[in-house]
Amino acid sequence: MENKKLCMALFTGSLDKLTAAGVVLSGAIADDYEVDIFVLLQGARAFLKNIADNPDKLYLAENQPLRKEFEQGLKKNNVQPWIEFFRQAKQMGNVKIHICGLAGKIWGGEKIDDFVEIADDIVGINEYITKAQEADLHLFI
Amino acid sequence: MALTPEELKNIQADKVVDARGTACPGPLLAAKKAIGEIDKGQIMEILSSDEGTKRDVPKWAQKKGYEYLGTIEEDGYFRIFLKK
Repeated sequence: MENKKLCMALFTGSLDKLTAAGVVLSGAIADDYEVDIFVLLQGARAFLKNIADNPDKLYLAENQPLRKEFEQGLKKNNVQPWIEFFRQAKQMGNVKIHICGLAGKIWGGEKIDDFVEIADDIVGINEYITKAQEADLHLFI
Repeated sequence: MALTPEELKNIQADKVVDARGTACPGPLLAAKKAIGEIDKGQIMEILSSDEGTKRDVPKWAQKKGYEYLGTIEEDGYFRIFLKK
């Protein structure tokens, strides 16, 4: 029986949405989905090598004034940094992470080495549209 | 086929995964990793203190074709028994 496919588009570059995406991704991995992640406009910044492991450089999409409370909540519940969900998912399952070329350039990332080590390649919009169509589950975060 | 609490308490699991203190999706992923490490017919026990996990793991196990044997509630956490 073939595994189901998930296409996850990460428009977001915010800490809260990336954390949520990480949890959703983990759920998909637990269900043996094959995952293609497309890192789009704001997301490309978060996946830069010098940003990915620095959550302090990210903002919250919602409740920004409650950031401290949010971070305390994460800590209290032993929630790992958002990028670790993605690292773990890559280790445990079939996950490919594609960076949108244009999005990367907007934030100063020109080649794949400018991005976090778990990013696989730099792609164009057609690949996202194709994978989105082929997927059993498509999410735009 | 769920066992009685008596039968569950007497089980000697082949593998015990202690996921207490980790929040969703921790316990689920720990279960997935550990079940890959036991053989068919063996029994795995997962300890968790996360409410969501209590529902997640049995559903996940049944989806994957494993046997959900039952859950024992302890003080502040619970023990889920699965058979591969």
